[in-house]
Amino acid sequence: MTRYVMVVDQSRCIGCQSCTVACRTWNDLPLDIIYNPVVSEGTKGTFPEVYRTWTPTQCMHCANPECVPCCPTGASQQDDDGTVWVDYAKCMGCKVCVNACPYGMRDVSHVVPRFDQYVRKCTFCRDRRAADPAAEPYCVATCHQRARVFGDIDDPNSEVSKLINTTHTERLFTELGTDPQIYYIPEMGGGAR
Amino acid sequence: MGNEIDIHAPGVEMRKSLCYFCHANCGVLAYVKDGEVIKIEGDPNYANQGGLCCRGNSALLHLNHPARINHALKRVGEKGEGKWEKIPYDQAIAEVAERLNQIKAESGAEAVATAGGTTRTDDWARRRFMNQFGSPNGFHNALLCWIPTFMAETCVAGWSPFETDLGKAKVVMLWGMNPGASSLGAMRGYTDLQKAGMKIIVVDPRFSETASKADLWLPLRPGSDSALALAMLRTIIWEGLYDFAFVRDWCQDFDALREHVRDYTPEWAAPLTWLTPDQIRTAARMYATNTPGCIQWGCTWDQLGTASTTTSLTLALMRAVCGNLDVPGGDGMPGPALNFLTDEEMEANECLPEEQKAKQIGSDKFKLTSWPGYTLISDNARRTWGKTLPAEWFCEAHGPSVFKAIITGDPYPVRALIVNATNPVNSYGDAKMTLEALKRCEFLVTVEYWMTPTALLSDYVFPAAGALERPTIVTHYGATDSFLGGKRAIQPLYDRHTDMVFWRKLGLACGQPEKMWPWETEEEAYYHILEPLGLPIGCYEDFVDNFRMYYPPLHQNKFVANGGFWTPSGKVECDSTILRELGYPGMPTYMGCSENEVDDPEVAERYPIVLTTGGGFMPYHHSEHFQMPAIRYLYPDPYYTLNPELAEKLGIAEGDWCWIETRRGRIKMRANVSPEIHPRVVYVPRGWWFPERDGSADLSNPFGCLESNTNVLTSVDVEDCDPMGGSWANRGLLCRVYRCTELDHEYKAADAQWSIPGSAAEPGVTVMPSDQKMARPHAPFEAPACEEAPEGFYRVWQNGQLYQEGTHFRLDESGWLVNPRTKGYHDAYTGWRYDPDSELLVDDETGTCYTMDREEVVFRGGVRCYPGPAAPYEVPEQLTWNAEGGFAQLADRPYVYDPASGWLVDPETGAYHDAYYGWLYDGATGNLVDEATGARYDMEYNPIVAEEAAAAQAGAASDEEGA
Repeated sequence: MTRYVMVVDQSRCIGCQSCTVACRTWNDLPLDIIYNPVVSEGTKGTFPEVYRTWTPTQCMHCANPECVPCCPTGASQQDDDGTVWVDYAKCMGCKVCVNACPYGMRDVSHVVPRFDQYVRKCTFCRDRRAADPAAEPYCVATCHQRARVFGDIDDPNSEVSKLINTTHTERLFTELGTDPQIYYIPEMGGGAR
Repeated sequence: MGNEIDIHAPGVEMRKSLCYFCHANCGVLAYVKDGEVIKIEGDPNYANQGGLCCRGNSALLHLNHPARINHALKRVGEKGEGKWEKIPYDQAIAEVAERLNQIKAESGAEAVATAGGTTRTDDWARRRFMNQFGSPNGFHNALLCWIPTFMAETCVAGWSPFETDLGKAKVVMLWGMNPGASSLGAMRGYTDLQKAGMKIIVVDPRFSETASKADLWLPLRPGSDSALALAMLRTIIWEGLYDFAFVRDWCQDFDALREHVRDYTPEWAAPLTWLTPDQIRTAARMYATNTPGCIQWGCTWDQLGTASTTTSLTLALMRAVCGNLDVPGGDGMPGPALNFLTDEEMEANECLPEEQKAKQIGSDKFKLTSWPGYTLISDNARRTWGKTLPAEWFCEAHGPSVFKAIITGDPYPVRALIVNATNPVNSYGDAKMTLEALKRCEFLVTVEYWMTPTALLSDYVFPAAGALERPTIVTHYGATDSFLGGKRAIQPLYDRHTDMVFWRKLGLACGQPEKMWPWETEEEAYYHILEPLGLPIGCYEDFVDNFRMYYPPLHQNKFVANGGFWTPSGKVECDSTILRELGYPGMPTYMGCSENEVDDPEVAERYPIVLTTGGGFMPYHHSEHFQMPAIRYLYPDPYYTLNPELAEKLGIAEGDWCWIETRRGRIKMRANVSPEIHPRVVYVPRGWWFPERDGSADLSNPFGCLESNTNVLTSVDVEDCDPMGGSWANRGLLCRVYRCTELDHEYKAADAQWSIPGSAAEPGVTVMPSDQKMARPHAPFEAPACEEAPEGFYRVWQNGQLYQEGTHFRLDESGWLVNPRTKGYHDAYTGWRYDPDSELLVDDETGTCYTMDREEVVFRGGVRCYPGPAAPYEVPEQLTWNAEGGFAQLADRPYVYDPASGWLVDPETGAYHDAYYGWLYDGATGNLVDEATGARYDMEYNPIVAEEAAAAQAGAASDEEGA
């Protein structure tokens, strides 16, 4: 089986937001929709004893997603490889899934009428992978820092497997039972510490 | 799916392009269908390994942005009124050319100046235009970006050691450089290498993106870089951490330098830099003991105002004494491109007369980066490398002084300004004065993507072609020996044209000869540049498709093979002779930055906070990209950064609009309260303007170009500029900060009041520019007396050697001239090259060969002839000597005997014939052929019978097919 996951290496992320803009341009997103915001609390501590980290986020492509079973039309669905996506032909824009997602990673646009008909979200670039099975999601390809690593966790030789099996990783809100599939290599304040 | 565009669909062509939004020029793959770019992505097979930043990813938004200027615009209303007539590009060119020629006829060519921004454009074309036009007054922001550093480093070691060989480095010092927000491809390299063990030292007052990953962060007082650098150099020398062998073998005047820096102790530097002596020692030891190591150049060095070149000179010496110059893992010195044409060779500098060079504005003061210093450095480069650095960027008018000349007419009136690829009011210092100059400029022409404040005030605006619409090459200001290239994805849209095409058209319209502008497109020009490489390419696009990049074989330790560094003395000059010749100290001598609390305590009393400006930040580049909402949302308003402690003291909360004020004026920005900066420092982003506003609504502040523009706060006063390089004061200035109140919230006309010198208290011109004093006066220099040179030669006092005028070839003790580039010998009288293979002299211009007695040598069919009765070699008995032709021949056949091979050569065809019968050698079969009869023979002269011949022929035919 193939199970796609992403490892996000926070020790490499420098908060440039390239992935955010890349995703926006690749998917032609309206201004009020961001699939993969990079969030940061800014610089913490007291000068000069300070640190700063960034957390690139996106749909967690949970193994046990809240947003799929709640969908009344079956538009919100999950592929065998774990990709959670919305079939626009079936979506009626009721936004039940928007409320269900504990990570706040799906929405409709409120500014562009063309996009307010259905719920949009990250698909691990399903379109790119359909055209070219070897393609990475565009946010991965565009990251100068290689802070995002994409791959098949069921393949023990994949880079993601190696990272997850050899490095301490963390996931967000595991207590909710959604089994999120974005793995973070955390950094506590950079090499200067 | 949200993305309906399929890059794999039939008819989609992928074109290898380069990003054009900053000088990193990342590789971009553009997918083109029916002449339209449908998608882009980063090129995984280029240096950026598929990475693209916010700017690069927004290329299509830029290309098709509705606010782009698409046609030539001619002003029809008042200046700045925003009323335009769209006219054809060529008509606009003709009208501009006529006006420029008129101004030249009335006031001299020097009354026409041109302003540029950062490197990217093909500015050899700008220089080619200006040189032929006759004006020395081209300039860029070059003085804030690398050029003074390059010149200082070249004075020390003969070229800038800017190509860091990080793969083998144990430490890298990122000083005043934040690749985490400016050059992401480089940041990735640093991150990878750091994880493999390399140490990163970051010198930055702010806890930048890069500092957040560093092994050692030195948060110095902004602008105190010269003190820190000197104290580190002192520590390295006096703690004995330098490379003793290198210093012994390759450094001149090291003992003098050691004594010179004696007093620059870490204890001396501590109160200036706000660092502890221990921090300074730790950094110095970390750099000096982890060899090889690199110091990456940072923009800050050139933005310190008075202290700029002092700092870069110190750092140049630091890497030299640590033995990091041009060694594996150190700072590589590429030198000029020896294998393809340099930008300098494209500039036509020979067209600019000496008397025009002398008129270059600012060259009497800031000599290092204008014609006086350039001439010394460039002549030396020709003597040592055989080629030189471009005059564009490295030898320019002093931009702010040109703006002042427009206003004051001092030293002479400048009437016309062509602005190409910059928005000076936001990118040059003292924005209020600059804006006034743009308004007063009699004839202003702008080449732009957008309606910038500068374009708004112009008489003509030309639409510029940008990313994806132009091919791009990367040669680092024309100062390196490697070459990277990308294609254009599409032809320019609308009536947009590239800068090279603009200069070419303008040059031709001004009456410059067609033969001086032989290249109609960049592709033709780039191919011309690349041709000497001898690659199997027929056009520039072949190069991109098949090579994409050219790197000469990596040759480090070149100074060893060369027998010396490329300085006048051949050594690393710790007490630079070129700097001394120009009237500057040859060793780094401390100067504080333009404004600081130690040298200017009275100013510090009124303006107690230290201001630093000029840093790069995502997602913008300089003053670009504010137009695009899809990235503007990341950083919608101008935010400056202050420490929570300071914010509390001043009663400022996160997001508050505040005034930031220096002696020169004030601007408005919003507060970003963060502990990333010292409580006495504020960090202000650069370049801000508001393209979303109506520019014509308020011409005292068009597009809000002054309101939040940090350059209102910076200084370009002569005494605030670096006395050597001329860079102006961006970092470490003194300011005060206060919250906008209800009554004092609006930007008023009084806030836009300009002045020379910069002072909000004294509007207008109070001191003429030429009456302003430099931060450090020139010291007169007299070269030591040396023996006179014979006519046609000159002597370099530093090494006592004679060089030929014009060629700059050295006259060897043997009486021969030595070409520095090839190390080949040339005849001192004729300049002909000695060819060691043939032992002849060759005139490379005509290809004619001469004997050592300078008698012409005749060749027939590639065989040297010796006209005269006696043959110089043994002539086989069956041949006769042709005394007139000077060769041996077989009976009356026209073939020439080649004594080296023993064959006869047909000079018409180059074919070989045997020396006994004159039979033709047939290379395909290895037979000899008697052409008279058609009979064939083997090499032993045995006849080959017909079948064998047929078989042999058939064999040859099938061989051909097989091939």
